[in-house]
Amino acid sequence: MDYLLDSLYSAILLAVSIDAELLTVVSVSLKVSSSSTILASVIGVPLGVFIAFKTFRGKRLVITVLNTLLALPTVVIGLLVYSFISRRGLLGAFDLLYTQKAIIIGQTILIVPVVATFTIAAISRIDIRYRKTALTLGASWFQAACVVIREARFGIFAAIIAAFGRVISEVGISMMLGGNAKGFTRTITTAMALEYDKGEFTLAIALGIILLSLSFGINLLFHFFQGRTEA
Amino acid sequence: MAFSLSDLKKVYGSRTVLDIPSLEIESGKIYTLTGPNGSGKTTLLNILALLEKPSSGRMFYKGRQIQFSESVLQDLRRSIVMVAQHPILFTTTVYKNIEFGLKIRKISRLKRKYTIEKALDLVGMRDFENAQAHRLSGGETQRVAFAQALAVAPDVLFCDEPTASIDVENQAAIINILRQANESEKTTIIFTTHDRAQAGALAHETLSLENGRLTGQSRENIFNASFSGIEGNMAKCTIRSGLDIMLPEELVVNREKVFRLLINPEEMDFGDGKSDTASGRSYKGTVKQISEENSSIYINVDIGIPLSLIMKREKYLQNPPFVGLSVNVVIPPEAVSII
Repeated sequence: MDYLLDSLYSAILLAVSIDAELLTVVSVSLKVSSSSTILASVIGVPLGVFIAFKTFRGKRLVITVLNTLLALPTVVIGLLVYSFISRRGLLGAFDLLYTQKAIIIGQTILIVPVVATFTIAAISRIDIRYRKTALTLGASWFQAACVVIREARFGIFAAIIAAFGRVISEVGISMMLGGNAKGFTRTITTAMALEYDKGEFTLAIALGIILLSLSFGINLLFHFFQGRTEA
Repeated sequence: MAFSLSDLKKVYGSRTVLDIPSLEIESGKIYTLTGPNGSGKTTLLNILALLEKPSSGRMFYKGRQIQFSESVLQDLRRSIVMVAQHPILFTTTVYKNIEFGLKIRKISRLKRKYTIEKALDLVGMRDFENAQAHRLSGGETQRVAFAQALAVAPDVLFCDEPTASIDVENQAAIINILRQANESEKTTIIFTTHDRAQAGALAHETLSLENGRLTGQSRENIFNASFSGIEGNMAKCTIRSGLDIMLPEELVVNREKVFRLLINPEEMDFGDGKSDTASGRSYKGTVKQISEENSSIYINVDIGIPLSLIMKREKYLQNPPFVGLSVNVVIPPEAVSII
């Protein structure tokens, strides 16, 4: 028990100190997770909006597939992307393996379904009268869609936050496609896994504290923003 | 002519909810659309407001046949606006809500400001300009929705039950707004209502829907009835326990099911109290309301069911009843028909 408490105490000291290695790991994590979240939002939000608005054959099937993809294991995505970007893969010539770009690609694939399904749910919850009102006031299909997106903005924002939470805490893709190279592709989670393997709990716990703090901070920001807008 | 409809149908699954062989809506007039719940009023309004596609038939707007493609509809919707029964406002300020339609029409900022202020003045909501729209009461929301609609100066304005869920003060305000829009801007207005007095006071024409069809009759005096026997050569139909209406036997084709019965308000009269006369059966009742519309007198009598009688002013003045008076209403068999 003492050992655990000592580790925790050392970890807190490490987390609040400006340790260069720790900072690098955190910044790599934030960089790849933010990039993949932005990319997934650019793809996922319009995809969700399109699916929510349009009536087409096979719509239910598409939603079911997207829901299924929510449970896609990160190692499966890691394997899939690896098969494309490894030297022998279709995109091998681009030399993407064990780079931050590779992690971003994998993480984007992981969270596009998250953003899209949550966007569909957020838009579906919006009263149909918003769209009708926009249309009757002379809006085009696109302008009416923008009105609905605006009304669903908190739900969509929540989808993006959830997606960010998913990628910042994932380890499989970062490990398989990033390779955990120190200073380049070592993220919070891969560093934690490495430190655990080494039996060095202090850094692992310190990183864990930072990860939780990050997640807490983002949620706090989200609620603060939501509260202000609704006031 | 604002609208012209020909063989228009709307079908949901196997159910035809609207079947209108022909309908013409003249520009600059106020129309009221009446009918029981589920008669197709809102569907017809949605189709006319180009928010729903008819299943078949043709629709003309200002002489041009409407093609239901998105680009054409968007263009036409710029001059046709609908205010829903329970309007919803965007979650922003009242000002920005009204500004939406004007921005879409690319109206300059200065002119937008002037138009919004004018529209808010019209509905008496100028003080609410910067209020959050989703915090307004039902009546205030309705008034802002009208300001939103009238700000874009539509040629045609559709209103679905504009006063159904608001208090009397707001009802009077809405009716005033509609009348003013029609008088000053020559806006064609079509509104649905269950309030016959309001319909008569405001509308130039009344359209009545029954099971998705235009009946050509005002909705008043339409009741559910069931066949309950034969008396002489007349069929006795029960509207409710103890209230039987007589009509020619041959009219009751289906004696098993409940059917809709129309009692023509212009063919009834007041009698001397004898239970049955040669001219029809007599029913005791009390006068509940009297109003004048277009030189006709509308008298609402409660005979166990609310019944409307329409008579010419001259006839009414011969022996005018007053509210609360006990009267005998004579319903001749020829006044009764099945629809």
